[in-house]
Amino acid sequence: MEELILELKEEIIRVLNLEDLTPEDIDPNAPLFGAGGLGLDSIDVLELIVLLEKRYGIRLASAAEGKTIFTSVGSIAQFVSENRKK
Amino acid sequence: MNNSIAIIGSGIVCAIGTDKQQVRESLLTGKTGIGELRYLKSRHKELPVGEVKMSDADLKNALAVSLDREFSRTALLGAYALRQAIEDAGLSPKSLKGKRVTLISGTTVGGTDIAEQYSCGNNTRAIARLVGIDCEVTTISTACSSALNAIILGVRMLLWHETDIVLAGGTEALSMFHLNGFNSLMILDHNVCRPFDATRQGLNLGEGAAYLILERTEDARLRERNIQGYITGWGNRCDAYHQTATSENGEGAFLAMTDALQIAHLQPNAIDYVNAHGTGTPDNDKSESTALRRVFANKLPPISSTKSFTGHTTSASGSIEAVICLIAMQGRFIPGNYGWENSTAECIVPAEFTAEKDLHHVLCNSFGFGGNDSSLVISDRELPCCPHREEPSPTSEYTIAGENEITQPEELKELSRYLPSMETRRMCKITKAAFLTSIRVMETAGITSPDAIIIATQYGMLENGGKILDTIQEQGEEGISPTLFMQSTHNTLAGALAIHFDCHGYNITYSQGEESLQWAIRDAKRLICEGKAKNVLVGLHNEMPPKFKAVLDGQGLNETHEIYSKSIIVKSI
Repeated sequence: MEELILELKEEIIRVLNLEDLTPEDIDPNAPLFGAGGLGLDSIDVLELIVLLEKRYGIRLASAAEGKTIFTSVGSIAQFVSENRKK
Repeated sequence: MNNSIAIIGSGIVCAIGTDKQQVRESLLTGKTGIGELRYLKSRHKELPVGEVKMSDADLKNALAVSLDREFSRTALLGAYALRQAIEDAGLSPKSLKGKRVTLISGTTVGGTDIAEQYSCGNNTRAIARLVGIDCEVTTISTACSSALNAIILGVRMLLWHETDIVLAGGTEALSMFHLNGFNSLMILDHNVCRPFDATRQGLNLGEGAAYLILERTEDARLRERNIQGYITGWGNRCDAYHQTATSENGEGAFLAMTDALQIAHLQPNAIDYVNAHGTGTPDNDKSESTALRRVFANKLPPISSTKSFTGHTTSASGSIEAVICLIAMQGRFIPGNYGWENSTAECIVPAEFTAEKDLHHVLCNSFGFGGNDSSLVISDRELPCCPHREEPSPTSEYTIAGENEITQPEELKELSRYLPSMETRRMCKITKAAFLTSIRVMETAGITSPDAIIIATQYGMLENGGKILDTIQEQGEEGISPTLFMQSTHNTLAGALAIHFDCHGYNITYSQGEESLQWAIRDAKRLICEGKAKNVLVGLHNEMPPKFKAVLDGQGLNETHEIYSKSIIVKSI
C-alpha cells in the first residue's frame, strides 16, 4: 500500500501540474479538494478519472462517482487496490 | 430614420433536415434527428449524435465540387447552408458582385483533418470560394456561441453602414476532436438528451450550419426583398466564472438577455417564446433556468430547447436555432422540448409543442465555453433599435492607452511575479503570454477591470489542440486530457482573462488569419462609439509549435515566432 500511495502522489503531481509540490508535501489523509487541503477542483476530478483509466484500467461512470472516491490520496489508494485491472 | 435590420434570407442544414422545409416538418411532427453514429469514423458507437444525413461526397455533389478536391466537412456544410440562404433571399453570387457584402462565420474546430483548413479563417474563405462569392470575410470563434455572435456583429456593422449586405451564421461538423473532447468532460448522454428533465445526464453532439442574410430595413424595402423577420435586440456577455462550468446564478446569461431586451426596448412580458440554449447537461440547464427566472420572474414565457432534435451543434447552434425561431415564427408554432418527461425544481418546465400560436418577439440563447453568453431578439415587426449615428465616428473618440508585446518564450517566467503557481499550473505558453502582456498593459493604463475583452488569434490554441490530436492518433481515442480540451477553443484566452479581471462585459474572439487584429481593433472602436465601453482590452496572441511550423514552412509560409503576444488598451476620450 505504501508503494501505491507514493506512486499515486507522483502521478497526481505530474498530471495535475502541481510542480511546486513533492510527494512528501502531500499527507495521504488530507483532503484533496476545498479549503484546508490541496485546493483541487472539478477539472482535477476529470483528470484523475483519466489517470485511473489509463494507469489502472478502472473506468468510472460519472464525475460525481469520482468525487466520492477522490477524497484523499489514501482513499484513492484503497479504491485502486480493490478495483485495479492492471 | 429607421435603424432596424431585416432578415431577407435564411438557410439551414442539420440533423432534422437539409433545408428549412424539412426542418419545419420534423419540428411539427416531433421527429428527432439524433441516432447512431454513421459518417464520423469514431469507435464511440455508444454515443448518440445528431449527424447531417449526407456524406461528404453527397455534399460535394450538391455543391458541384469535384470529389477529389479537399474541403473540410465544416466548410462543405457551411457552403451548403449559405447557398440556400442566398437563394432564399432571391440573390445569387452574380447579383452580389460589386456590392459591399460581408460574410461573417462562426466556427471553432474547423477542419482539424485538413492542415490548410485547420485555421477557422481559412474555413470561412473556403465557404466563400465554394459558394462563388468574393467579399469581405471574417470569422468569430467563441466556441458554442460563435454563430450567434457572428449575427450580432453583422447587425452592428450594418447599423454603422460599414457594409450593405451581411451573410452571417456558423458551421461545425462533428469531429473526432470534439467528440472525444466532450467525452473526456463526461457530459455526453448515452441516450437521447433530455434538456431541463430531472433525469438529464448530458448533451448529444450534433452538426450543421445555418446562415441569415441581413440588410438594413430601409434598403430591403427599397429593393423589394421578402422580409422574413427583424433582428431587434442582442447581447453578449461573459459569465467570468469558470472555463467550462456555469455560475450558480447564471450571471452571464442574465446580463446577455437583459441587454437584448433593453436594445429592443421590450419588457420581458413581450417575449412570446424563448429558444433556450438548453444543452441537457446538469450544469447548463440549472444555471440557465435560474437566469431565465431572474429575467422573467414568475411570468415565464413558453421556453423550449430544440437540442434534443438537432443535437448540440456547437459553433453553429446559435444560427441554427435562430433559423428555427424564424421557422416557428413564420409557421406560427412553438417547437416542443423533445424527450422531456420529469420536472425538477432546479429547472424551468419547458413548453410543449403548440400549434397556431402567434409569435411576435422571440428570444434565442446561445452560450459557450469561457462563459461566453449571447442572446438575440427576433421580431415579426420593425422596432426602433438602439440609436446610432449615420457615419462611423471620428477617430478623436478613442485612443490607444497602452501597448505591451512578448516575442520570446523566455520572458514568460516573469508571470510568476504576478500569479501564484496554483493559478498558472494549467496554462500553456500562449495563455501565459496573453496573461503577462494583458496584466502589464492594464497596469500601464491604470485599469483594474476592462469594460470588454476582444481577442485576435491567427490559429488559436495550437499546442493544446495538437496534443489532443496526437493522443487520438497514438492512443486510439483513449485518455484525452479534459484540461487540454477545455483550453482548446480559440476563446480560451478571452474567457480566462475575463475571469482574472472580473469582466462581465462584451467578450469576443476573432480568428481571421493575419487580419484578426484589425478586426479586433475595429470592433473595440465600434463598441466605444456605441457607448458600450470606455476601455477595451484588445490582444493578439499567436503560438507556433514546431510540428505546425513544419506544416506551414512546407506551404512556403515562414512563421518566425514560436510565441507572439501583444495587448493593447483602446480607450474612449
